[in-house]
Amino acid sequence: MSMLYDEGQQAIATESRRVLDARMDKGRLLALLEQVGGIDQPFWDTAVEQGWTALALPEEHGGLGLGLTELGLVAQAAGAATSGAPFLTVGYGAAQALLAAGHTGDLAALAGGEKLATVAFAEGSAPLPAKSVVSFADGKLNGTKPAVIGGLKADLAVVLASTNGTPVLVAADLTDVTRTAVPSFDNSRLYADLVFNGTPAVQLAEGAAALGLARDVLARMAVVTAHEQVGGAEALLNIARDYALTRKAFGQPIGAFQSIKHRIAELYGLIEVARANCIHAAASEGTEEFLIAAADARLSATEAYDTASRDCVQIHGGIGVTWDQGLHLHMRRARSLGIEQGNLLFWEDLLVDQLAGEAA
Amino acid sequence: MSELETYRQTARAFLNAMAPKYARPARQGNTVEQDLALGREYMAARYDAGFAGINWSPEFGGQGLSNLHKIAFDAEEMRYGMPVGFFGISLGMPVPMMIHYGQDREFVKERVTKALRGEEIWCQLFSEPSGGSDLAALRTKVEPDGNGWRMNGQKVWTSWAQYADYGVIVTRSDPTVAKHKGLTYFWVDMKAAGVEVRPIKLAGGDSHVNEVFFDDVRLEDNQRMGEVGGGFGLALHTLMIERYIATDSAGFGPHLDLFVKLAKETQLNGRPAIEDGRIRSAIARNHAMRAGLDSITQRAMLMMQAGMQPGPEGSLQKLVAVRSRQKLSELALDLQGTAALPFDQHAYVKEDWGTSWLNAPTGRIAGGSDEVLLNTIAEKVLGLPQDYRPDKGIPFNQIPA
Repeated sequence: MSMLYDEGQQAIATESRRVLDARMDKGRLLALLEQVGGIDQPFWDTAVEQGWTALALPEEHGGLGLGLTELGLVAQAAGAATSGAPFLTVGYGAAQALLAAGHTGDLAALAGGEKLATVAFAEGSAPLPAKSVVSFADGKLNGTKPAVIGGLKADLAVVLASTNGTPVLVAADLTDVTRTAVPSFDNSRLYADLVFNGTPAVQLAEGAAALGLARDVLARMAVVTAHEQVGGAEALLNIARDYALTRKAFGQPIGAFQSIKHRIAELYGLIEVARANCIHAAASEGTEEFLIAAADARLSATEAYDTASRDCVQIHGGIGVTWDQGLHLHMRRARSLGIEQGNLLFWEDLLVDQLAGEAA
Repeated sequence: MSELETYRQTARAFLNAMAPKYARPARQGNTVEQDLALGREYMAARYDAGFAGINWSPEFGGQGLSNLHKIAFDAEEMRYGMPVGFFGISLGMPVPMMIHYGQDREFVKERVTKALRGEEIWCQLFSEPSGGSDLAALRTKVEPDGNGWRMNGQKVWTSWAQYADYGVIVTRSDPTVAKHKGLTYFWVDMKAAGVEVRPIKLAGGDSHVNEVFFDDVRLEDNQRMGEVGGGFGLALHTLMIERYIATDSAGFGPHLDLFVKLAKETQLNGRPAIEDGRIRSAIARNHAMRAGLDSITQRAMLMMQAGMQPGPEGSLQKLVAVRSRQKLSELALDLQGTAALPFDQHAYVKEDWGTSWLNAPTGRIAGGSDEVLLNTIAEKVLGLPQDYRPDKGIPFNQIPA
């Protein structure tokens, strides 16, 4: 696929940003930070209404038949708006796992937004545990997946578990699962410990195939997230630039001081490198290059968003650390997105394994 | 296969045929003079094979092809380490400027052909002791002298001036107006009476840059390029002209693969360094950064192919790549410990961490320092204010020294 956006893709980018600009509300997002279990319903309604849930699913399953590039552009707009509801990414990831395993029964409901799905892979510092603490035997799951993204509201989950020490990937209905909310610094991500207690589940893959599929799904979600991170970082760059142009000190706009303008120019560099990596990764979907491209996108996007949130607050001075000004929405989101879909340490290791020819 | 890809393959076939005689291994142990002689031979062969002046008009001995063809050829050629360094600036800026502004068109045509064939070399005389990044602060002056001009002053950091036949130069023709308004642009015969070139030995041991002194050097008025007082505009044109150059996300230092190889071969705490987290982190971060630069380049190429203007993100290449080359080279030396101490100042910078490290600062300063590039991005791309400039609008001769 080309690394230049075509007209349709550009329209998706413009339209998603326009819709979110019109409908997102900082006050609403700030309020969500102080409650556990709240989702930004207007965002999710918009996502369903705009067909974003269906975007990257095949047409025969109620989707729009588009791919990572298009979903990435929507994620970028969502990132710029720090808009809530994690299901844009994890719903896509779960659907990709179900699709790859040929378990397509729920896909139409996911595309239409009637059901919410998530992905439960990570266990603490292991984004992709080869020996999960959650066991799968006789069609049933037992054990706890900690801090699952969207875990408080998801209807089903794709779970990385293990059978006698062998990795398995299963799909589980979450109706009867015990969910323990995890109060966090970014509450609208709906983190919850999922406690499986004889929960019925369907096996999607096992052994190396299970880990391989989980890794592919994680890489896809990482690319979506990287776009979201670029969107957030770019929004912060613009906020910092605008502030530096209007705020005056010592008789001139602070943007005239090199300590400020160089900081902002450096951000531009980080963001453009990350953006180019995102575009390349999305365009490499389904090719041999994809995993390395995804790692590049993920590493550079995490660095860009973290740095942008750090520097943008710094450029604002005191006003930047106030609750109402809301820069902390980005700061929190930069870190929650940085942890979700594999942290920097994980992607560094994965990338080097690939480059050094030590891949599993 | 696309037409461009076919062209690339033709170029590769030519380069493969040339490699045994001219590529990096064949140059091993050459003195600079031997290398220059070899370079001139290669340039003539390249001209005869139709790979010279690729994106220039056929009227001036060019091939009349697109910028993309030129970039494609340059990128291929860069892999071979051909002896083309002496001619890079010559053909990059001064000669194209002569094509644009040279008054005597027959003279220009003759010069262009000789420059393309490597028979003549042009230098670019811009920086001075009083003005590098601040080009318009230059002091080399011209005064009317009969129907021509008389020039006095000094330039510095002039690449390959010691081998140059001609140069293009920015001079001050009127010190009574604001600094960038009193400049005039000329070409100068580097062999003329009153021109003295003194090589400057750089930290890495080589001397490709020079001081150039002008003592009552006579310039005819037909050596003037552009209008009297229009020199600053031409200087900007000169710096813009070479936008379509091959980039190198390795910052013209060693490829990351070489670092990975080194990390696999080097033992650290009793195990291969490639297993050490610090080394792994450096590899991964560098890979992500370089891959991003490569994707920026690929997108720029695609945009040009589609007849679009590439985005301003291309201006990041040198800034980001050379800095990272400098740090990675330091790390490569550090990783080897005392094994990094043996040093060969003639080792190839794209294959050797020692020379890459020692020469990296030049890359961060020449062709726009990091700081100037950051200012340019901040001001031109992001719309941030210009720095405070106390000399703005003041006649040059009234600016406090």
